[in-house]
Amino acid sequence: MDEHKFCFILCTNNNLLLEEALHYIGHLIIPEGYTTELLTVTDADSMTSGYNEAMASSNAKYKIYMHQDVFILNPYFLSDVLAIFQSDASIGLIGMTGYETVSPDGVMWHSGSRIGTPYQRKAVYPPLSEYRYSLSRDGYQAAALIDGFMMITSQDYLWNTESLTGWDFYDAYHSLTFLLGGHKIVVPAQRHPWCMHDDGGVLNLTNYNQYRQMFMRTYHDLLGKHYSEIGRQENTTPLSR
Amino acid sequence: MDISSQLNLSTETFFQQLEKDKDSIQNSWLHITNTLNAALKRQDTKAMLDLIPYMEQGDGLSAYEHIGESRKILTILHFTQLELAYQKTPFILDCTDKNSLLEKYTLALFALRRLSFRLSETSTEEAAGWLLDNRPSVFAIYVILQEEMIIPDADLYGIIVEICSAYWTADEQQLFISLAAGN
Repeated sequence: MDEHKFCFILCTNNNLLLEEALHYIGHLIIPEGYTTELLTVTDADSMTSGYNEAMASSNAKYKIYMHQDVFILNPYFLSDVLAIFQSDASIGLIGMTGYETVSPDGVMWHSGSRIGTPYQRKAVYPPLSEYRYSLSRDGYQAAALIDGFMMITSQDYLWNTESLTGWDFYDAYHSLTFLLGGHKIVVPAQRHPWCMHDDGGVLNLTNYNQYRQMFMRTYHDLLGKHYSEIGRQENTTPLSR
Repeated sequence: MDISSQLNLSTETFFQQLEKDKDSIQNSWLHITNTLNAALKRQDTKAMLDLIPYMEQGDGLSAYEHIGESRKILTILHFTQLELAYQKTPFILDCTDKNSLLEKYTLALFALRRLSFRLSETSTEEAAGWLLDNRPSVFAIYVILQEEMIIPDADLYGIIVEICSAYWTADEQQLFISLAAGN
């Protein structure tokens, strides 16, 4: 495992979006002594299978799983992420938006406890050129679940390919894997959003409900729970490499 | 009934309705796609603009509500209507089908965002180059800035006028400045 390496991992089916996402990645400032790599998985069978394939082929300690329609705006993104991981060894997963509780109906955004700063048209942010995150001043908040458009890990847990054969709920499942593994999940407080996620404003929910039902059956005991009520379970351990 | 049960019930109802509407959403999306492809092939703007009432009040409303691309198409149709009314070169020119139209639209959006975020000189130069090569109208640019995930400010409007003055007339530049001032 290379402790000084970041790996960007994207499942992609659209070159136009991918190239633009990479354009923004190409403008990030890489912390001194660190390297980056990029892995794209084209036309994967599912998000989880694509992510597992990429995860297995990278020795980077820090893996940045992101959607192809995400554009990273904060040029200091990598050093800010690093500062958060280094501030507390128990932090295993960082997201850009998240939720403090698991919603009783399994729909993440119904939990009413959203944290983080999604990029929104009507919002007012400081100019990007003047924005600088400070861990001591801005900090972060703990979450139970984070949104899958951006998931940054410092531990390798296998993505659940057995249950998740599509493009939904991989984020909720993976978040709980981290919590049950005894890791913290956090979302930085962003005065300017670190990313823009442009999903077109409409979610494709065609297959969402079948995975929601499965999630509710699998994690019945955790529905409605706050992150502080979800603790380590002995049978959840990181992927051994 | 407690709050959790109410939430569960309303979520169940939502997904049951979505399942019921699945076919009508797909059918209306198919109609939009087929109409647009045929109209673009013939550059038949009337057929294309007939999709506006279909998507805003007719059966196409369900596609508009559930399929992201349909929102972009409606945005394009709106500024196409203005371009045609004011006899400007339409954005749709040279687009032969829905995919090429949405690709051009996406690239326009990306160019405007790069001008907004100003990541580097190269990034803004590429964006300016795209605008100069493709020459989108005042209406196209203004409507995209109003509808898409981008926060236009005075600096961005100024940069756009500076770039597009290479092909916009003085009246068009003034129109854009007036529209921007109205925000």
